[in-house]
Amino acid sequence: MAERYRADILVSCLHDRAPDLIPNLKAEVIRRGLKDEVRVIEAGCRGFCSMGPVLLVEPNGIFYIGVQPADVPELVEETLVKGRVVERLTYEEPTTHASIAYYEDIPFYSKQERIVLRHCGLINPQSIDEYIAVGGYQALGKALISMTPEEIIDELKRSGLRGRGGAGFPTGRKWEAGRKAEGETKYVLVNGDEGDPNCFMDRALMEADPHSILEGLIIGAYVVGAHQGYIYIPYEHSGSVKSMRTALEQARDYGLLGADILGSGFEFDAELRLGAHSFVGGESTALMHAVEGKVSEPRPKHIHTTEVGIWGRPSCLNNVKTLSIVPEIISRGADWFGGIGTETSKGTQVFSLAGKINNVGLAEVPMGITIRELVFDVGGGIPKGREFKALQIGGPSGGFLPASLLDMPMDYETLADAGSMMGTGGVVILDDRTCVVDTARYFLDFLRDESCGKCTSCREGIRCMLEILTRITEGRGEVADLDTLETLGHVVKSVSLCGLGKTAPNPVLSTLRYFRDEYMAHIEDKKCPGGVCKALIEYYIIEDLCNGCGACRRKCPEAAISGEKKEVHVIDPALCIKCGICFDVCKFDAVGVR
Amino acid sequence: MPKLKSLEELQKLRQQLQGDIKARAETSTTITVGMGTCGIAAGAREVMRAILAELDARGIEAHVTTTGCIGMCSREPLVDIQQGGEARVTYGSVTAVMVPRLIEEHLIQGNVVQDWVIGRVAG
Amino acid sequence: MATLIIDGQEVHAEEGQTILEVARANGFEIPTLCYHPQLEPYGACRLCIVEVIRSGRSRLETSCTHPAWDGLEVKTRSPAVIEARRVILGLLLSRCPNVPVIQELALEYGITEPPFPAEDPEEKCILCGLCVRTCHELVKADVLNFSQAGVERRVGPPFLEKTRQCIGCGACTIVCPTGAIEIVLQQAGIYKEKPLGPTAAIWVPSLQAVPNVPVIDIDACIRFRQNDRTEGEIADACGVCQMVCEAGAINFDQQDEVVELAVGTVIVATGFQMWDPAQLSQYSYGKSPNIITGMEFEHLSNAGGITSGEILLADGRMPERVAIIHCVGSRDHNAHKYCSRICCMYSLKQAHLVRDKTGADVYEFYMDMRAFGKGYEEFYERVQEEGVAMIRGRGAEVEVLPDGKLRVKGEDANLGRLVYVDVDMVVLSTAIEAPHDANQVAALFGLSRSEDGFFAEAHPKMRPVETNTGGVFLAGTAQGPRDVPDTVAHAGAAASMALALMDQGEVTISPAVAVVDEELCSACKTCISLCPYTAISFIEEDNVARVNEALCKGCGTCVAACPAGAIMARHFTDLQILAQIEGLFRVPA
Repeated sequence: MAERYRADILVSCLHDRAPDLIPNLKAEVIRRGLKDEVRVIEAGCRGFCSMGPVLLVEPNGIFYIGVQPADVPELVEETLVKGRVVERLTYEEPTTHASIAYYEDIPFYSKQERIVLRHCGLINPQSIDEYIAVGGYQALGKALISMTPEEIIDELKRSGLRGRGGAGFPTGRKWEAGRKAEGETKYVLVNGDEGDPNCFMDRALMEADPHSILEGLIIGAYVVGAHQGYIYIPYEHSGSVKSMRTALEQARDYGLLGADILGSGFEFDAELRLGAHSFVGGESTALMHAVEGKVSEPRPKHIHTTEVGIWGRPSCLNNVKTLSIVPEIISRGADWFGGIGTETSKGTQVFSLAGKINNVGLAEVPMGITIRELVFDVGGGIPKGREFKALQIGGPSGGFLPASLLDMPMDYETLADAGSMMGTGGVVILDDRTCVVDTARYFLDFLRDESCGKCTSCREGIRCMLEILTRITEGRGEVADLDTLETLGHVVKSVSLCGLGKTAPNPVLSTLRYFRDEYMAHIEDKKCPGGVCKALIEYYIIEDLCNGCGACRRKCPEAAISGEKKEVHVIDPALCIKCGICFDVCKFDAVGVR
Repeated sequence: MPKLKSLEELQKLRQQLQGDIKARAETSTTITVGMGTCGIAAGAREVMRAILAELDARGIEAHVTTTGCIGMCSREPLVDIQQGGEARVTYGSVTAVMVPRLIEEHLIQGNVVQDWVIGRVAG
Repeated sequence: MATLIIDGQEVHAEEGQTILEVARANGFEIPTLCYHPQLEPYGACRLCIVEVIRSGRSRLETSCTHPAWDGLEVKTRSPAVIEARRVILGLLLSRCPNVPVIQELALEYGITEPPFPAEDPEEKCILCGLCVRTCHELVKADVLNFSQAGVERRVGPPFLEKTRQCIGCGACTIVCPTGAIEIVLQQAGIYKEKPLGPTAAIWVPSLQAVPNVPVIDIDACIRFRQNDRTEGEIADACGVCQMVCEAGAINFDQQDEVVELAVGTVIVATGFQMWDPAQLSQYSYGKSPNIITGMEFEHLSNAGGITSGEILLADGRMPERVAIIHCVGSRDHNAHKYCSRICCMYSLKQAHLVRDKTGADVYEFYMDMRAFGKGYEEFYERVQEEGVAMIRGRGAEVEVLPDGKLRVKGEDANLGRLVYVDVDMVVLSTAIEAPHDANQVAALFGLSRSEDGFFAEAHPKMRPVETNTGGVFLAGTAQGPRDVPDTVAHAGAAASMALALMDQGEVTISPAVAVVDEELCSACKTCISLCPYTAISFIEEDNVARVNEALCKGCGTCVAACPAGAIMARHFTDLQILAQIEGLFRVPA
């Protein structure tokens, strides 16, 4: 333990991209005789997904992206031996094309306020020692020894922390209800079943900083009065399972789980419960059924699970992100947290940026950030300089926000009023070459597969709405369909049994609210403005721009393009299957869609 | 792994472990060793090792980084010490033998070793 | 006690009640499909939606699941509720457009056509879960459950395969609101042993059963099967029979009792069993459901049977031509050589019944008509006058024709010709034989069996009810084939002889019996198995064999067999016999 390294290289985002990167680095470090000075660490997710594998060299603070094993010798030589920056491996700012070498200068990171993700990518997640070294479990000590459960509840209430699982229920009130619930045996649960198809922050957190979740969980158990905890993770999420399992074992070894934690007299232990992943499996009553060993199916929540949960006992379920925030509030105080964010939504939100955006990844920013700032400042704008069309937020349960709302600050209330919802922070950016109708149809299709099928309104309602949307995208829609969608959508929303059904119509209803003209274009003009719906579009060559290079002709899988060298080419609509390969391949933007 | 039986034990462990990640910790002291080709030829590697060993032995928190050739090749090995808001001081022709005194006098006592200084950049 | 307001009216609710229960108790109508008062509410169909106003917020909730809390305001027919129900019924109708109950409900809310296309227009199941919950909570057979999710969700046994766990209790069919489940009778069962319809686990074996009370078949009964299957954990499944029995006559805890009686007189009346005609393949028994035995015909024609006494073929039609074949398995060197005595008369009776009930043509294939009793010959004449064709010649073969008709072939001995007749139904008058466990009964009581397999009487002419073992008597067909009047007489004789014996109190026996010298007996038990009159027993406490003088007939077998020479025949000792021999050979002086 007494080795003092002068430099730590934190490597993140290996996965399929460069599994050999770390062995390569280590070998090179040894080869250059730096074994005792430089340490290579596999850290967790840095959240800069489009740029991985990424590397942070401390103490310099140099950040490299897209590192491959072939780059290793140069990297070690230049940066670790000579202390110089390898420019070609640094982040390139999209508009100015300037190279930014230092981590703290990269806008994607500099504009973030990382609370949930505070340790992600900066420590070795499989080492409880590193977590303790950066101050981990200090908050637990403070909570157990110098605070009463009531004081902690007050602190959380004052901080304004709301659950980050999607519903945004005030955590202080939830734990208070749990504490007041009748019964000797109570449970605390962790929801590790991240279901939104475009969300990956829970996974990142579980894999990159599992101990922060555990710390929050133990504090929660202390407040509520539970001595047993369950961490529910789908078994398919093997990385998260492995990470949490190791963390549990290490915490147990150190006596942070078990009897008399840190000498406080409080006893608590937790175990993993694995289930089969499904979108509805993340719903609280469905999750509790799964922990009991039953099928992941929701039940009506007239009586809250904090009073009647697993096996009929009071159960407090929290999302992983919420739990990881709790130790920070304990350490730094409610006022600090309350000072970030908006009036109703305090603190930060972790957004997962996906879709037509340059900086695909995870960004944690204060609540109240405008859509414009998120998309253009943090997100780096839209690739190829295309136009912003909509921001979809809240996953399959959320809605679309048009360009007219670009300057709207985002928090729980503003988003709900606008017909969307915060959800877990999954964000998809659409540009002018995406079709809102098709995207709404995509989400409905997802929900149709994920519906448990118990209640009529969700099961049949989604199926029927999907049938209508499919017809519209194929050019067989009618104007009356839009009213049907509205009526059906509103009933499904108000009548369904669980959150899945209640929010399923949101994509449809919000697109009808803001993008009715696109629907009408599909129905009346039989056209798809985004150029996506295959039945309604046609690919053609723009004669003025085509120089006859033949790239499209060679790539066309149906041989639908004909033309001589150096002469304007032509697409035969009868053969064209609208795959879009010619559009992607043409370097002169000579392929158009109408 | 002995179980932690109290908050005090946790805090002690933390202090102990903090040294392991000192490369990532905030410190106000940075020592930079010139490791360009000229530096290495002049023996900068030995100087580097000596610095690390000395810091370790004395339990001092400081960042140690490298830099390339700054042009004063004849004076290599060059060692920069920057403490807090103080001026950055560059020592020249440093050898491993000189290191303990540098650490003792400059870092710990705050006195620059004038004889060995070849340059100063205002803080 | 909670107070709510439903549609402006104040009502009171008990602890634990739901809004639906309170509403219905107070006369408010709320439609439901997936609700049942005996089952846990499920909330699947969403039809029972009402508007619930609490703390100023109005929400649509299912009344079947929502607790009736104090201070709630409920609206059962507000515009939002009506609209919601209308849309839901539209969705249900779009799933099952051809289910009457849904069509009616939809019509009430103004829907005449399914608003959306149906994936399967013949779909009847609305996935309400009533069958699943019934099978799990009430019947506790756990056969049905949901599988798959979303629109693929369906109900059935595991992997949708037939399972023995389902005992066809029919509870699911009763509780299904759309008639999506039905019980299918298997046709081949129509002639089987249990006449009271598809297997109920509790049944009266036959209407003439004595005592005429139901009995529980514990291999079929859900309660016993669950008890076995869960090793006692679920011991109280179903129990519906006990619930409905007004006399309280059902006791699931009864155990087999072993009763030990010390008796001196036994009457063996173990009866007979029917011979299985499948053993002779020329009769094609089992190859067509319309070839039945005489006993099966009795079941069919019984007014308490499954056809209520009508003579019907397996497909439910009335036969037009019937053949009855005598001596199937009797008077047959390939089966039983003896005559079964009773068949001729019952075959005539059956022919008479067929003529009477169906008017069909009847052909009787016989060898000899044994009409030996009082009024028997007269009945035979009468049946002939009814037009039954008597063919003197054994029915030799029954062939199943491709169209299902049966061809009976035989020799008409009167005409001296081979004949055949094509009929719809064939009745085989099968032999009666000794029961399959006759050997065990014989061993128990020391009985011998005559050549025909029935128990041997002491003397065929003079002592028809006694056996060679004293105190053991025979009654009825245990001793040989006989019909009812003869059985009554025989049994009466056995009873009186038994009574006479018991009444005596003392018996006079011949003194020439065997005696065991207990000093010499080595307990090898050889004599015990040899004694034809089961007169020797092994006495455990004394470790010797002992002769029961009342039973011993003085045959001397044991005397000769005893290896230790420990048994002496009184008045027939070796010395006495040798003396007699010596006397015979003495030369007179």
